[in-house]
Amino acid sequence: MAMPVLGTKLFVPPLRKRAVPRPRLVERLHEGLSSGRRLTLISAPAGFGKTALVSEWIADAQRRNSRIRVGWLSLDESDNDPARFLTYLGHALHRADPGIGREAANQPAGSLIPTLTALINAIAAGEFDIILVLDDFQLIEDPSIRDALVFLLEHAPSALHLVIVSRSDPLLPVARLRAGGVLTELRAADLRFSTVEAAAFLNEMMGLGLSTADVDALETRTEGWIAGLQLAALSMQERTDVAGFIQGFTGSNRFVIDYLAEEVLQSQNESTRDFLLRTAVLERLTASLCDELTGQPGGAAILESLDRDNLFVIPLDDGRRWYRYHHLFADALRARLLRDRPDLVPQLHGLASAWYEEHDLPEEAVTHALAAADFDRAARVIESIIPSIRRSRQDATLLRWLALLPEHVIDRRPVLGVYRAWSSIVAGDLAAVEPRLHAVEMALAATAADGANTHLSLPGEELQKLPVSIEVYRAAVAQSRGDVAGTRQHAQRALDLTRPDDHLGRSAAAGFLGLASWAAGDLKAGVRAFREVQTGLRLAGNTADLLATTIVLADMLIPQGRLWEAQSAFERALQLAAEQGDPPPQSTADLHVGISELFLQRNDLPAAAAHLAAAEALGGRASTHENRHRSYLALARLREAEGQPEAALDLLATAERLYLRGFFPEVRPIAAMKARLWISQGRLAEAEAWADEQGLTAADDLSYRREFEHITLARLLLGTHTGARQPGSLDDVTGLLERLLTAADAAGRTGSATEILILQSLVHAANGRTAQGLAPLNRALRQAEPEGYIRLFLDEGAPLAVLLRAAAETGVVGDHVRRLNRAFRQADGTAGAMAAARSDRPLTALSERELHVLRLMATELSGPQIAGELYVTVNTLRTHTKHIFAKLEVNSRPAAVRRAEALGLI
Amino acid sequence: MSTSSSPSPDPGWYEIRLQGQLDSSWAEWFDGLTLTADSDGTTTLTGPVADQAALHGLMRRVGDLGVPLISVNPLRRRHS
Repeated sequence: MAMPVLGTKLFVPPLRKRAVPRPRLVERLHEGLSSGRRLTLISAPAGFGKTALVSEWIADAQRRNSRIRVGWLSLDESDNDPARFLTYLGHALHRADPGIGREAANQPAGSLIPTLTALINAIAAGEFDIILVLDDFQLIEDPSIRDALVFLLEHAPSALHLVIVSRSDPLLPVARLRAGGVLTELRAADLRFSTVEAAAFLNEMMGLGLSTADVDALETRTEGWIAGLQLAALSMQERTDVAGFIQGFTGSNRFVIDYLAEEVLQSQNESTRDFLLRTAVLERLTASLCDELTGQPGGAAILESLDRDNLFVIPLDDGRRWYRYHHLFADALRARLLRDRPDLVPQLHGLASAWYEEHDLPEEAVTHALAAADFDRAARVIESIIPSIRRSRQDATLLRWLALLPEHVIDRRPVLGVYRAWSSIVAGDLAAVEPRLHAVEMALAATAADGANTHLSLPGEELQKLPVSIEVYRAAVAQSRGDVAGTRQHAQRALDLTRPDDHLGRSAAAGFLGLASWAAGDLKAGVRAFREVQTGLRLAGNTADLLATTIVLADMLIPQGRLWEAQSAFERALQLAAEQGDPPPQSTADLHVGISELFLQRNDLPAAAAHLAAAEALGGRASTHENRHRSYLALARLREAEGQPEAALDLLATAERLYLRGFFPEVRPIAAMKARLWISQGRLAEAEAWADEQGLTAADDLSYRREFEHITLARLLLGTHTGARQPGSLDDVTGLLERLLTAADAAGRTGSATEILILQSLVHAANGRTAQGLAPLNRALRQAEPEGYIRLFLDEGAPLAVLLRAAAETGVVGDHVRRLNRAFRQADGTAGAMAAARSDRPLTALSERELHVLRLMATELSGPQIAGELYVTVNTLRTHTKHIFAKLEVNSRPAAVRRAEALGLI
Repeated sequence: MSTSSSPSPDPGWYEIRLQGQLDSSWAEWFDGLTLTADSDGTTTLTGPVADQAALHGLMRRVGDLGVPLISVNPLRRRHS
């Protein structure tokens, strides 16, 4: 079963019949809209006519301005799932303007901000002014939805006006919005009927012909509460003794709704009363569903007469197929049902659940099954829709349902059992995972042994995949605990169990295998595993993860000295990202940062800077949280290369603050990068403090995880030797480097080995044995040449320049040595000049809109066509173009496109 | 994590006062609290409330009905 989108939730309620026009309030709403305030908040308890007022205002606003379009979203409790909320938000906007909402559907589900950004851009590009109404907002409690709305309010274009209708003040910074003058507010005191309005309603609309004194009495008794006056009017309609009713009502202390609901119910005939009570358990009413609950036909006629008599039913579509009760009336009915027939309640929910299931509305089927405490039915329906829930990433919904099901019900369903284990991983309760997985295995094994079904999960894809999922979750737990052998063992087992067509299963298993290899320093195996992950993701069409894993792959290729392979992986990924269109997928900025480091290694500083600028222009939303610190690391390396170590240290400090521990081993700790900078600046005391703190010594056992730190230690020991007045022995560094080289060679980490070889040659030179230093240097050069390493040599500064000249004199020649020597000659002069040039002329980031224009400029479209595409005038387009030319320092369209391409902006 | 786990062993008792009179037929709707109509035209709900989430749920029901809320007081625990 799929998870359909309910059109009734998006229906703009029509004007009510026999509604008192409220020009005073409508005018205030108009004023809020025309003054450009972004948010209208209508906050009052049920029964104050909030929804009716908004309907009246919207109809009037559309009469006045034909450019206004309306999106409406009636919320319910299940919208507390961010993924579901955003889906409906996109649909509501799509109904308002068919040009909007499609781009949201293309976003990787579960990414709130990128999806919202896509919607915001689409609204900005559209030609309409949109009023978006969120009705019944009091039901929303999820903090990430609240954050999303704050984001929307802060970034929405002026074409969007948001209306929040709520029975209680929403969890938004209302006071701040009020103070900021962006809020139009109507509250209970504004909404209650004045005496004049009460008289208009009772006498003109309802034709009751009451005296001023009677109207006054009713108005006072109900305090202008509209639902109260409506109920009172309904009670009086068929009555001969109106005076008696008013006397009884105004003389009573009973709460208005309690008194009046009873009156109204009593005035109905027996079958209508029975209909009202039985159908009160429903959130939405339609004839055949009502017939199911009452056990007799005739629901359609009753609904029609309730609608005609204005008896608190509200149509939810144009065809009057679906209705709901007014909330207050439903509450009153439910209270009476619970009093009179509590035994009926679970039975009615059960009938509703069955009807919904039959009509392919599984979410409602689950909700009513849970309300009926029929957990077996709920579990069965949930299991049947798991694939579609997972596809739409409504994880919050699944987690909520799982939490509501009793353990023993889940125990009988291995499919749900595995998701229960998954929910423990999500909650960070690792200890609970294994017992739950074990229970699932027992349930599966019991079936296999005697051939009979001892569990209730239906055969199918989900059940077939369980053994794989179990092992993948075990690998995940082992990984979180740092248990490399366990991760590898479970991931391998998962891989052995996957069927050829289970691409995502294979990817997950291969991913954990790759992470285990990475942690153990076997990068070749890690790369093999992640190539397999990528193949699986490509076949499964999962572009978002495919892009994200490219960064992991490069992280494992670079220490192996496979720079070109890393480069082409980045280039392919950037190409794929570009094909996804606007807005760019989440990892795009991370990919620019990654490739910038390769350009930096080849000493192509302008290209490195351009990619970092492209990443910055894309902003944080095109980056994942785990990778956000990396742009600062890359920028620090660039500043270092430009001869600005202080700026580099500041950037490293920022990176340290942003660093998040993720799934990946921390093989290049930021602290060690700082130590390297200190060493190159001669700040040895600080670097020594770092080494002490990390407990690093030259005699340590070696592992890949600490390779970067140990190489840093070797640099520190060498630096201490060189800087000392009475140099001691370098034997400990020599020994450490020898062992590091053996380990790197054995594991095929050629990139690491090249760096170690360079250090070995420097140690020889420091010992006054330059000639001996040439042997490791020669090997380093041979390894470095095909991959184009420059900075690795250049960063060593003068001592290595001396060695390289010596190498050239002794006959070690070749393009690479010449290239390096040239780079050394330029280094001193250019570093300073480049830094100066950069601070004079910072590359100004292009705005999102300008990037969009740029991309259109790269097409065949003419200027007016581009303007048409963007819904702007040609003059506006000219302004954008002027800004783009200025920022890119060009003066023609072809030059702008060429420059943008060179910068990787398009 | 599931409904089969035992309910909170020591629910707190609360007294909730509302403006207006509600008859006892609403007791079930208010999760089985005792409703008492007082002579001053107010109604008092009294009874065990499992936890803070349940208390907030009750408040929401009061709000949904539009009944003016006067006070909410925790009571010293009584064992019924």
